[in-house]
Amino acid sequence: MRSRRSRLMLLLTVLAMVLAACGGDGGDATDSTDTTAGESEVTTTTADSGTDTTEGEPEAEPVTIEWWHIQNNDPGLSLWQAVADEFMEMNPNVTVNITVQENEAFKAALQTNLQAGDVPDLFQSWGGGGLREQVDAGLVQDITEPVSSWEDELQPAARSMMEIDGALYGAPFDLGIVGVWYNRTLFEEAGIDAPPATWEELLEDVQTLKDAGITPISLAAGDKWPAMFWYAELALRLGGAEVMQAAGVDQNFDDPAFLQAGEEIERLIALEPFQPGFLATPWDGPDGAAAVLANGDAAMLLMGHWAPGTIQANGPDLAASGELGWFPFPALEGGAGDPTDAFGGGNGFAVGRDAPPEAIAFLEYISSVEVASRVGSEANLLPTTVGSEDSITDPNLVEVIEGRGEASYVQLYLDQAYPPEVGAAVNDSIVTVFAGTGGPQDVVDAVNASWE
Amino acid sequence: MVDLALGRREGREPTRAYRGHSPISRGLLYLAAFTVLGAIIIPVAYAVLGGFRDTPQLAADPAGLPDPWVFTNYLDVLGSGSFWQQVWNSTLIAGVTVALVLPAASLAAFVIARFEFRGREWIYTLFTLGLLFPVAVAILPLYVVVRQLDLINTPLGVVLPQVAFQLPLSIVILRPFFASIPRELEEAAILDGAGSLRFYWSVLLPLSRPVLSTIAVLAVVTSWNAFLLPLVVLTDSGGWTLPIGVTNYSTQYTTDTARVLAYTTLAMIPALLFYAVAERQIVRGLIAKGIKG
Amino acid sequence: MTAETVGATPRRKRKWPLLLAFLAPALVVYVVFVLYPIAQGIRYSLFDWNGLEPLTEFVGLENFGQAFGDKVFRGALGHNAIIVTLTLLLQLPVALFLAVLLDRDLRGRALMRLLFFAPYVLSEVVTAVVWRQIFRPDGLLDAGLSAATGTQVQGLWIADPSIVLYSVFFVVSWKYFGFHMILMLAGLQQIPDELEEAAAIDGANWWQTFRHITLPLLGPTVRVSVFLAIIGSLQLFDLVWVMTGGGPVDASNTMATYLIDWGFRRSQFGYASAVSVIIFGLSLVVALGYQRWVLSRDVDGALTVGGA
Repeated sequence: MRSRRSRLMLLLTVLAMVLAACGGDGGDATDSTDTTAGESEVTTTTADSGTDTTEGEPEAEPVTIEWWHIQNNDPGLSLWQAVADEFMEMNPNVTVNITVQENEAFKAALQTNLQAGDVPDLFQSWGGGGLREQVDAGLVQDITEPVSSWEDELQPAARSMMEIDGALYGAPFDLGIVGVWYNRTLFEEAGIDAPPATWEELLEDVQTLKDAGITPISLAAGDKWPAMFWYAELALRLGGAEVMQAAGVDQNFDDPAFLQAGEEIERLIALEPFQPGFLATPWDGPDGAAAVLANGDAAMLLMGHWAPGTIQANGPDLAASGELGWFPFPALEGGAGDPTDAFGGGNGFAVGRDAPPEAIAFLEYISSVEVASRVGSEANLLPTTVGSEDSITDPNLVEVIEGRGEASYVQLYLDQAYPPEVGAAVNDSIVTVFAGTGGPQDVVDAVNASWE
Repeated sequence: MVDLALGRREGREPTRAYRGHSPISRGLLYLAAFTVLGAIIIPVAYAVLGGFRDTPQLAADPAGLPDPWVFTNYLDVLGSGSFWQQVWNSTLIAGVTVALVLPAASLAAFVIARFEFRGREWIYTLFTLGLLFPVAVAILPLYVVVRQLDLINTPLGVVLPQVAFQLPLSIVILRPFFASIPRELEEAAILDGAGSLRFYWSVLLPLSRPVLSTIAVLAVVTSWNAFLLPLVVLTDSGGWTLPIGVTNYSTQYTTDTARVLAYTTLAMIPALLFYAVAERQIVRGLIAKGIKG
Repeated sequence: MTAETVGATPRRKRKWPLLLAFLAPALVVYVVFVLYPIAQGIRYSLFDWNGLEPLTEFVGLENFGQAFGDKVFRGALGHNAIIVTLTLLLQLPVALFLAVLLDRDLRGRALMRLLFFAPYVLSEVVTAVVWRQIFRPDGLLDAGLSAATGTQVQGLWIADPSIVLYSVFFVVSWKYFGFHMILMLAGLQQIPDELEEAAAIDGANWWQTFRHITLPLLGPTVRVSVFLAIIGSLQLFDLVWVMTGGGPVDASNTMATYLIDWGFRRSQFGYASAVSVIIFGLSLVVALGYQRWVLSRDVDGALTVGGA
């Protein structure tokens, strides 16, 4: 019934796992899961490691690391595979089993696994509230001790993403900040010489663009979180780092900055700056906000550092021609916030509670400057190891990473920073403001209610 | 009377052309059919043609035809080993699912439809419960069960729950059909010395080909498009089914929509083929005789 | 001729071992993979649980109170009711019409049957992708309407909260009518041609034949179809989720999308389980009521066994 190849694969996998199970604790050796990514080159790798183990050093016990990541396309896919292969070469007793899935599929699969107690050794994490839940459930390992020797290599803002109450539970590999991506040509057409430096200037520019017949802003309110970006940036500018952090500690949005942020949003909405049908527009897809910008149908887009990739996928000309530009979110006069404060987020790997020390060693390798530089140059991510920033070549991303470097404080996305139900409440209530069915006070009320 | 039930006109597409169908009403019928056909076909055609464009085309010109025609989407999918592996996995799982659903459901429906016993309606209601509970929540405890039975990462770990969840629908559909088979046939069979099993096998099942084919089609299509259960059970990507495979064309922030369209169009074909084959059983197994000359 | 002779045989009443043997395969699989998870789900609904930590916070019926008190949930409930109604009024008659149509002697109907079923075979994800492209501003629908009316049409089919539910309903009908169609086709096959022939000979026209012969004999099938349509509409999830996510601003939420949003997105599994139980309860009431008053007719015929 099964093809010969899968039978062979199965046999080798079973062999590898039996050997792994005989040796070190290898947390998930009890599952019968073979978690290699499906392509043939990976199969060979696993087979090789299995063979290495049998004829390798008698002293080192074989260890398996279960690694779940979500870079399911190239260049990330090949990069992580290469990194795993290199580590295995350097540590012949270690087998790295990669399970790679698409983002939403990963979340569903991780959920069921965590619930059943099968925690992968290293897995994708966005830090913040989601990580906190895992910490509270005892599913991740406190690695503050083991990494104390190299944790300073990590960019501080990125490191704090994976910290909960001062203890570190994983390492970041990517951190970006949100800014405004804009179409230079359309700006020129409308007669705007330079990107706005203040909020008032931005509102003026919106009006200028409208007068020139150009849709000022592309907004993916259908996915909700892009709408939250506008609100969060304004709150950050108005309240500053302390207020944002206090909100998480005190668990409410009572500070007037949040109310004001909502009012500023209403000023923006009153100008009607968005593309038609924006309430249902998703971020991605041919009908998405990225596509709107890519097609030259709008001038500005507030988004994170992955924007060029998606814009390019939906319309290669904009990015290729150099028309795409970036500027940081403008300052707000009278706001308590530092204009260099940034709002953003990224990716990291959390360490599972049963992970062997080799997993942490692998994490160290991933966080090394060499690997991090490749993350920057090959995988279009913004690496988080000090010294790897120079690996970025895309001029727009260079500006982003500089903006990140200047920021004294990076506020994590609100739906990541806070517990999931609060994050969802933030997103949902903000969209009602954009839809005109709710007001700034409703946002505060909804968020406060969700925190109970 | 027995003739009526057993006599069948096999091998000829049955027709219900009766006299009295004026050209006008025939014309109207065709018109109605084509209007509905248009409403159905255009979106499907969109999916098929979408695969011949690339994503920027889809973004820039939603309503246009491919220009230029892009063949790489379809060709790359057809050329990728993982696609065919997934076709095989999906086929295996769907096939075994249907092979198990048909006997299990028909036996149970047979008993419920044609036997009188205490608690019969309770059993029937019990079976309908499976239709009433959202699967997405049942998936968490279901995963634990599959894991305890050590069926994770096996096709059987997908098949057995699918069979179980397909039973309610199948039984609900089969019951009235089974109940409507004339009692004379059963009595005749008893006179011939046949037991219940014999009656089931030699009389009931052959007569029920249309509805059994319907059940089979529904089971296959449901299995073919199932996503959540295979996702959590099949951890090794070598065992993935087609709906999981398509997620490879999405990343956290971007989707290659044109390729997704090509992929799903191709993925749809086996299920449609199965329907085409089974459907002839649905329509052919006629009880009536049709027009004689 | 047929009325008294269909159905059950009372003589078989006491053959318990046989009955159990026949029921066993289905029952075993069903209990393990369906009933047990459902029972667990009901158990979860009594807890405040985030899906990761052990089940410790028992809250009793609090989750249920919260659901009914949430206006978003009540809105979703209303949307389900609308969809049930529209399905019964619009989708089923069309499915019936098409099944009858395809049963006729029309040329190319084998191909048409195939094409009519294609939407049901298409996966939900692609259905959503395609229809989003059709519904988007300046998408296929707008382009078609613009061409047809000569004016520039730009409709907010899924962006306008007041009409998104109906757009969603349209797509749901498009996708699922094939299911009801093949059900009715199977039912039509069981109607002997002779009856319709005889009616035609007696001078009845098509409509009279349909009304007095076809439709009544199709009764059991139609009743099953209605039942499944109602239950299906209450459970509606996949298509709505991938098309609109329940939005914008919860305008197209169904109870099931609400439950996924609160269960998976917000890590409130206890609450999600409670909503599932509510959906389950509502469906059960409908199912039991329906069985008792409507479907029992089809069973009654089986039980009225004329003498020995």
